[in-house]
Amino acid sequence: MTADTAYDIAIIGGGIMGCATALRVAAGGMSVIVLDQGDLGQGASGVNAGTLSLQIKRVKLMPYALKGHHLWAEMGDAVGFAKTGGYTLAFNAREAEMLHERQTLKTQAGAPIEFVSNNRLRAAEPNLTHKVEAASFCPEDGYANAALTGQYYRGRLRDAGIQYREGCKVTAIDRTNGFALTTPQGTIRAKRILLAAGAWLKPLAALLDVDLPVNARVNTVSVTERMPPLISSVIGHATGLLTMKQKVNGTVLIGGGWQGLGTPQDGRGTVNAQTVRPNLALAQYAVPALGAARVTRSWTGFEANVPDFYPLAGALPGVPDAFVLGCVRGGYTIGPYIGQLMGDAILGREPEMPLFDPGRDFEKDMI
Amino acid sequence: MIRLVANQAAQIRRSEQVTFTFDGMPVEGHSGESLVSALLRAGHLNLRHAPNDNAPRGAFCCMGLCQECAVVIHGQVVEACCTGVAAGLVVGRV
Amino acid sequence: MDEHYDTAVIGAGPAGGNAALQAARRGLRVVLLDEQPAPGGQVWRAKSASIIAAPTTPESSAGDALRSALGASEVTLRASTRVWDIRRQAGAWTLQILRDNTSLEITARTLILATGAREYVQPVPGWTTPGVIGLAGATALFKHSLSLPGNRTVVSGTGPLVFYVASEIRRLGGTVAAIVTPNSRADWARAVPAMLGQPKLLARGAVWLADLMLARVPILWGHAVSDVLGTDHVTGVKTRNLRNSLTGTEFAADSLCLGHGLVPNIEAAQMLGVPIRHVASLGGWVPEAEPDGATNVEGLYLSGDGCGIRGAVAAGLQGTLTGARVARDLGKSAPTPSLRQWQRAARFGQAMTALSHPRPEVQALTTQDTIICRCESLRRGDITAEITTGAASANAVKSGLRAGMGPCGGKYCQTAIAGLIAAQMGKAIADVPPPTPRSPLRPLPLGQAVGDFDYDDLPIPKPAPL
Repeated sequence: MTADTAYDIAIIGGGIMGCATALRVAAGGMSVIVLDQGDLGQGASGVNAGTLSLQIKRVKLMPYALKGHHLWAEMGDAVGFAKTGGYTLAFNAREAEMLHERQTLKTQAGAPIEFVSNNRLRAAEPNLTHKVEAASFCPEDGYANAALTGQYYRGRLRDAGIQYREGCKVTAIDRTNGFALTTPQGTIRAKRILLAAGAWLKPLAALLDVDLPVNARVNTVSVTERMPPLISSVIGHATGLLTMKQKVNGTVLIGGGWQGLGTPQDGRGTVNAQTVRPNLALAQYAVPALGAARVTRSWTGFEANVPDFYPLAGALPGVPDAFVLGCVRGGYTIGPYIGQLMGDAILGREPEMPLFDPGRDFEKDMI
Repeated sequence: MIRLVANQAAQIRRSEQVTFTFDGMPVEGHSGESLVSALLRAGHLNLRHAPNDNAPRGAFCCMGLCQECAVVIHGQVVEACCTGVAAGLVVGRV
Repeated sequence: MDEHYDTAVIGAGPAGGNAALQAARRGLRVVLLDEQPAPGGQVWRAKSASIIAAPTTPESSAGDALRSALGASEVTLRASTRVWDIRRQAGAWTLQILRDNTSLEITARTLILATGAREYVQPVPGWTTPGVIGLAGATALFKHSLSLPGNRTVVSGTGPLVFYVASEIRRLGGTVAAIVTPNSRADWARAVPAMLGQPKLLARGAVWLADLMLARVPILWGHAVSDVLGTDHVTGVKTRNLRNSLTGTEFAADSLCLGHGLVPNIEAAQMLGVPIRHVASLGGWVPEAEPDGATNVEGLYLSGDGCGIRGAVAAGLQGTLTGARVARDLGKSAPTPSLRQWQRAARFGQAMTALSHPRPEVQALTTQDTIICRCESLRRGDITAEITTGAASANAVKSGLRAGMGPCGGKYCQTAIAGLIAAQMGKAIADVPPPTPRSPLRPLPLGQAVGDFDYDDLPIPKPAPL
């Protein structure tokens, strides 16, 4: 394709959602190019804790999460998928009440969650603390290895004959004739564009004079060096502020959405010792033997959201042929699926499940 | 033979020899010297096995960075190159 | 117990030690932090408690002078201390430190990073065999415990360190089986003009060399160790002539000291937002700083080999420059010392760095099966396959393979991996930046970081929306 030919669509942002959409529209016959300011899958898609847990998904997103789980299972070893089942723990009466209330609603929404006795919990996870007040279990839960996202999608895009460019930040968008994207690797022309830049959606949409009310959370993850077997399933906390799993190689990954510092505009986030410490404390409380583990790395990832914490998935308001996809709470789990839905919508097909109008009133609960 | 760099080994006075154990075996060392120093002298070069290929590994950077000399003392992984010999110290393999 | 200072200095080597002394002399309250039990850094490392008496060396004397100056100063020394996190908040630096298995917080208005250097060891087949230690690693043994890496040692690598290490082995009563250095005599001849500026060091080097020649220690110029023999421990080395690729002499040995120059420890500066650039003559990637240590980050200063390998003499002089700069910036009167002495010392150090550079001929000695990432036992073939399938950056190789995710945090593989990426993609090494550095700066015992706590006191935020 020469420099002057327009792609059917340029996808800005090579994370899970951008790549999944690219695969869908290419399968539907469109010519596609994926552009990323850094490496593919190196943003939130690549640095999150990799938890695939229905127990921490939002009730109204549960049908999407169930579909997402199936897609991750299909991706399998290439993304380090493991279906281990997961336990969510409450350590006092208040948390136990919260756990009952939340898991009941999630079960009604289709997640196969059950409450388990302390005996069953200890038989399954003997290294957990004995100070558990209540525990729920979901056999569908597990994890994948987020660090493999980039290399996985590079392979998928290549196999599908889809072009991608890394280190290719879009700095201006001209709309006189389709879309002309200014990048350090030259101007790229496309008939349509999809903005899928995660936490960088707001400055990207601003290039089109659209104000998206996107904020970013700065989620922290830590990992230990290899440890002897301590836990065999995903361990969570009633509040959602702990997710923990031990990888096949023995390292223990500790997340839970504790907030670091920095903004996407700064280009990087940093961990905050004031929040890493209680995150690690919670992990050690759940699995006391972790006290002897050495933490080798802590890092942050930017998780984008809008005021109602539901996704942006649909047409970009006021800009014909421009679309936006992002801000999915639980985006790692749901990303591959909602990317397919977005792709269908771009192809002019009716998506299997409804999308989320980016032009909605975010102050009202309209979802 | 003329030496321009004298052998000064005989001029060095060291602390008393004490015994510690490595992987259950008694090892002699001078109190306060680095564990790596005592273990090398005693011929314990192989301190651990690498993940994935299980190959033997020993002290490498000797400055607390590479983690090749990781051993376990009191249940905690520490670098042998940054830990001193003490009488009765129980040093285990990772 | 929290402590507050005008300036915190991380690293008590020549740069950090002198920066602390100068800052304290100008009236600042200074804390000096170091992992080691006593100041001195790698180059002036103090003897361990196992040494009751020993002959002095230029390094031990220089270190003793620094230690006694610090002892007589107002500098608060926090030795045996590891810094695991650094943040700027509310106009001051907050450091999380580990001391006596306990995590504490220190705050300071300004921060001087004098993090020094680590060693680059070019992978060759067998370099992970027990009994292979770094050249700089060997010097740590000599200085700290006055002990030897083995009974019969091959010393191999680039730059002046091979001769220093061989000489120290002989001084401490050991046997040097051979010296194998990729440098040629012509390389050294080219360095002589810069060396003339430091006649004492030049004379010392001449004595080492003359002694080794008198002792008939084989010196293989323009050669490299091509294979380390032995499975459970080193039994010998094979060598290769780098000019004609012919096999050289094989040596029996129970130990090998191997090193190819020093690399600045830049991770802390990088994490705090100092831009980095690649300057081969300074040892690779260096953070951008003024000669007196000032950076683009408010209240952050860099000094010594951590901002470019210029050697111990230059580091000490730069430390004084940095201490004075910090004092001036905090409103104290301090002279603006001349840069000339530092520049002259730096010329010597950089000439040594130039001799030490990793060389393509040595890089070519790796095979598909040579381990590149020691922590994860990743071989060259694993890395090149990942690059072939699209991983075009150090971050991408790290994510896909865990090369750099092990306990060393990539400190001993990233230079080699960047070289492989550059070679395979036809890029300049300066176009392959190191991966994003991660906190903590050292493996952090989780229980010690957390300390004692009551569950009910954990500041658990509001849960996510349902």
